[in-house]
Amino acid sequence: MSEQVNTQEVLDLDMEETDDNSTIERCLTFDSGDLILYISTKYVIEIINNHSITTLPLMPPYIKGVINLRGQVLPVVDIKLRMGNGETDYSCQQDSADERRPCIIVLDINSISLGIIVDSVRQVIDIDMKNVRPIPLKRQQKLLNGMVNMEDGSVYMSIDCESLSFAEL
Amino acid sequence: MDNGMDSSILDTYLFETNSLLDRLDEMLVDDEKVGDFSSDDVNEIFRIMHTIKGSSAMMEFAAIASVAHHIEDLFFYIRDKGIDSLSSQHKKELFNLMFRSEDCLRGQVEKVEKGEPLDTDMDEFAAEINRFLKTVSGSGEEAPAGQAGSQADKPAEESPAASVSPSIPDNLPQDQKAVCFIHVFLEEGIGMENLRAYMIVNAVKECDLNFRYYPEGMESDSSTTAAIIEDGFYMAFETMEAASKASDILRTQGHIRSFEVVEVSEPEPEPAPVSAKPAENASPEAASAPAKPVPKPSVPAKQTTNAPVKQNLISVSLMKLDSLQNLVGEIVITESMVTSSPELNQLSRDAYDNFMKSARQLRKLTDDLQDISMSLRMVPISGVFQKMSRIVRDMKQKLNKDVRLTLIGEDTEIDKTIVDSIQDPIMHMVRNAVDHGIEDNPQDRINAGKNAQGEVILSASHTSSEVIISITDDGAGMDPEKLLAKARDRGLLVKPENEYSKKEILGFIMLPGFSTNQEVTEFSGRGVGMDVVKKNIESVGGVVSVSSELGKGSTFTMNIPLTMAIVDGMRVTVGRSIFIIPIANIRQSFKIAPEEILHDENGCEMVERLGSFYPVVRLHQFYGIETDIDTLDAGVLMWVEASDRSFCIFVDELVGEQQAVVKPLPAYLNCFDLKNSGIAGCTIMGDGNISMILDIPSLHSAALENV
Repeated sequence: MSEQVNTQEVLDLDMEETDDNSTIERCLTFDSGDLILYISTKYVIEIINNHSITTLPLMPPYIKGVINLRGQVLPVVDIKLRMGNGETDYSCQQDSADERRPCIIVLDINSISLGIIVDSVRQVIDIDMKNVRPIPLKRQQKLLNGMVNMEDGSVYMSIDCESLSFAEL
Repeated sequence: MDNGMDSSILDTYLFETNSLLDRLDEMLVDDEKVGDFSSDDVNEIFRIMHTIKGSSAMMEFAAIASVAHHIEDLFFYIRDKGIDSLSSQHKKELFNLMFRSEDCLRGQVEKVEKGEPLDTDMDEFAAEINRFLKTVSGSGEEAPAGQAGSQADKPAEESPAASVSPSIPDNLPQDQKAVCFIHVFLEEGIGMENLRAYMIVNAVKECDLNFRYYPEGMESDSSTTAAIIEDGFYMAFETMEAASKASDILRTQGHIRSFEVVEVSEPEPEPAPVSAKPAENASPEAASAPAKPVPKPSVPAKQTTNAPVKQNLISVSLMKLDSLQNLVGEIVITESMVTSSPELNQLSRDAYDNFMKSARQLRKLTDDLQDISMSLRMVPISGVFQKMSRIVRDMKQKLNKDVRLTLIGEDTEIDKTIVDSIQDPIMHMVRNAVDHGIEDNPQDRINAGKNAQGEVILSASHTSSEVIISITDDGAGMDPEKLLAKARDRGLLVKPENEYSKKEILGFIMLPGFSTNQEVTEFSGRGVGMDVVKKNIESVGGVVSVSSELGKGSTFTMNIPLTMAIVDGMRVTVGRSIFIIPIANIRQSFKIAPEEILHDENGCEMVERLGSFYPVVRLHQFYGIETDIDTLDAGVLMWVEASDRSFCIFVDELVGEQQAVVKPLPAYLNCFDLKNSGIAGCTIMGDGNISMILDIPSLHSAALENV
């Protein structure tokens, strides 16, 4: 299924980014499984720990339930399960909800609020959008939409907030 | 038309204009019933038109302003002459004219709302109003007709006692007897300055003050306008007391830019004319003259002129109310978090008692706060009902049917968001009732032993959790046979005809496409758009039902939840999940022995209660929740019912009663359609946990009907 993305798309992406004067964006980086992901801080409301999650019936596995964030009912998405590769090393499912106190990043994407469960939060860094390359793989479930090489050689992946903000059946 | 204006100003304008038009409508409908305008109403209509004219002119909606302007003139005349000067024929015409004007204004305002260009040519309508004004003024006893343009003609009612020569507006008018003048400047660009000035003069006169004003005859002589614009106008007082009283009154009047009291040092004929003084440095040489230009408060004139009505109401944006409600909800939750915190057990007995005493006090206060914040969103349904009076009135004329609309329970209060979504359905059903429900021929009604005048009853009432709105007509009713035949034609039947109950047959009219009739027969059209009505009502959690008796009339009933904000419920647990079942739906809770359970051929469980059998829904199975309690005798059965659906829900445990503030499920989860799987929403409980609120009707359809 994999195919090379043609250069035109890369160019388009570059064009799009350079339209904006500043191509530097502040991003929050975090771990999820083996991946290091980042998301623009403009979507991030806060990071919370130790919230107990109420499970909802009839939900796909990646929706872990809802939490009460100061009176607001917030859906919580397990980002790893959402990417479709969670089952392997994520132990949450076996744990009872009491012990499960994951780290939740609260996002507001186009006024859709949700929390995403991640393994751990790293830091806030500036990423130059010029350096972001599209992921050269075409998959059906596409949650990541870009990757960038950091100076230390690690690769960070960007989450496609648009597609994250819509639940999938 | 591109009105590059601040949208918040536009919002305010639209809100204000619409509420004024609503008020106008209300008055017109009420007055028409009596067949006469009360003088208060004449005044108020005048004020309304004045306000609309002013604000529309400010917003540069010339068409609206011009129509309002002409009506204002008309009512200026009527106010002046007294409504009794109109013959009853004229009054009737006036009502029609006013209703049409209102529609015309509404039409324009709607265009503003939609951002469409306004009609530029309002002349015809304006001319019509003018013609009417001419007709009525022609028949008035004393007033000569002669309406020049916009002016309400009126002979100068006060001929000054003093023989004064007509003053030159540039100067202080010559008035031998006056000891004091008030020099008034009007705001710039308000239009019709001479009439405004005259209105102000009249307002002062109403307070029994004796004075003269200059230029004389300004109310009838539009040539004075220029002078008034240039140099304001004068009021001449013979005593200082009168002048100071007058200046108090002037402060309450609109459209005054500033005024000053000019004292004449001695009541001598020569009040020392200051030649061509500009408005600002108009202080006369009389040294004692307290030249005090009163700066007009920055509120727009429309508000001051409108002062007598609805002063104790303010409009608040719904968003603020929403956030207030959320905040209050949080306070309540936080409060119970504090008062139920386990650390309290470590307090000494006395300290604990003290704490609980204060806690109870706090509880009471937060309860009150919660009630009030809930009630803020509640508005009486009378606004909607009032519009219906108007619709029935219009239809009555158009269809030439004698129908009266009876309103019951107008003061029933209902959540604002719900009001907005039920207005159209109600309107639709009222229209249907008048158009198709009531017989076309009064003779038919008399033959059927009914009053020749048809009646449509629109009523609203409360139960603890619902508002019930019903629209009843005493017309011909619906013929089930014909409905069935029509359903057959349309291919809507899904089972043999003789298996349809009457209720089901009547339900046909709510089906989409049932009544897209080409021609109007005696019952056709009755279903036009009823499917839309049903959908609208259901979107706010309501139910529509129909009953009809052939020959006696039909009733449409809407049961709408009072507010979707709060639910009294019982808390039950299933595994680790907590559900709230609305108390309104609960009939009984009970435990059963294993041998009481019956099975049908598919293995579905049933129990017998009070001689009937009811299916059992195991909540843990239906929702796939893990629980240790999986035999029916270990848990609890909740016997619930919603309208005609009754069944039992099997849960682990009944915990207790709970008042729940309903929160919608997050928008993110909309695509999972939990609403149709029996979960109406969720609520946050005292301990901060979230529980789900069950929706019994949809749980029934999800769990039992589609199996």
